[in-house]
Amino acid sequence: MFVLKPQSGIPIYRQLLEQVRRMVASGQLPPGAELPSVRELALKHAVNPMTVSKAYTLLEAEGLLERNRGRPMTVASRPRNAAQLSRRLQQIQPLVEQTVLAAKQLELGEAELLKAVRENWENDDV
Amino acid sequence: MSDATVQGSHLSKSFGERRVIDDLSFEIAPGDVIGVLGKNGAGKTTLLELMLGFTPPSAGSVSLFGHPSLQLPGEVKSRVGFVPQQDELLDQLTVTDQLRVIESFYSQWDGELIARLCREWSVNTGSRIKNLSVGERQKLSILLAFGHRPHLLVLDEPVASLDPLARRQFLEQLVEASADGERAVIFSSHIVSDIERLANRIWILKNGKLDWQGDLDSLKESVARLHIRGAAEVIAGIEVPGAISLRRDAGFATAVVRDWQPELRQSLETMHAVTVEVESLSLEEIFLELHR
Repeated sequence: MFVLKPQSGIPIYRQLLEQVRRMVASGQLPPGAELPSVRELALKHAVNPMTVSKAYTLLEAEGLLERNRGRPMTVASRPRNAAQLSRRLQQIQPLVEQTVLAAKQLELGEAELLKAVRENWENDDV
Repeated sequence: MSDATVQGSHLSKSFGERRVIDDLSFEIAPGDVIGVLGKNGAGKTTLLELMLGFTPPSAGSVSLFGHPSLQLPGEVKSRVGFVPQQDELLDQLTVTDQLRVIESFYSQWDGELIARLCREWSVNTGSRIKNLSVGERQKLSILLAFGHRPHLLVLDEPVASLDPLARRQFLEQLVEASADGERAVIFSSHIVSDIERLANRIWILKNGKLDWQGDLDSLKESVARLHIRGAAEVIAGIEVPGAISLRRDAGFATAVVRDWQPELRQSLETMHAVTVEVESLSLEEIFLELHR
């Protein structure tokens, strides 16, 4: 469900924050959807359980997740509907900047980059 | 008495003229998983041995569960698990006999857990210890430390000879063991990526001092590498406040800062007319940068 890279310079809890935010913003995680338990996620990725619970606690404070006694956490039931297009675009902006920078360093043209993006878009594995 | 699992106060240790541990004060609380990093000879093993009371400090003190490490009551010792760098297995015994010997030291022993781990980790209980490979000995030595469900687990370079699969199984067991938040783990390892997964706190030892200690997330968020581009004459004179390293080439500079704030980027860009690209670093890169 999540892609965690412990060796990234981005702390694991932040990777988790970003991914949950994105999935909730897009509606991929709809209201009421259950999240894996802290233990489950920690074991699956062999990461410290406290790291996972730190992310969940922050997401709860943001109002994105709800804690349920004795049951898995769920996506908050009164979510802002899938976030505004502008907000979703804002979330992907840093990645776009990075990609464009890399393309320029590689002296790729706009058309070539867009073609590569389109090919990835159409790839069913992503 | 404090709630700390381990408390060190102005701890020092010298061997002859050589000061291996230099005035360290620290605390380990239940739920902590501490990863200890340091070059060879930085004092990692000595620090762990001081904690466990295997060797007396030259100055200062250390206590476990409120008791001085040098005089631990049996009840406290039974709450501690230790995996030494060199295993202390008995060559002539079979694995089963070795398990029995260790079990007899403790009033509580989770036989079910041990049986499960022997199965999952493919430890052949019928083999004689002297016929085990280095990696198999290490697995057994780790496994033994989990049996009495210690509240403090001390591991000195536990995974050096384990294959990637065994290492992963060991990490999963550490997650299991630490999931209740009541136990503390401290482990030294040169395999930085393992520390990166499991540790919530990092100690970087350098010449017997704690060069950096704190939580891993803060460390990653506070260290950044800046790639700065601009006119050659600007780059030649540029200074980066708080940089621990700064390398200048024609039109290009690389700096590593320890107290990264986004404002630094803005102020560099506006003051010097340069562009700054920010790179966050893995723990291994941070370790290397702190040792340049």
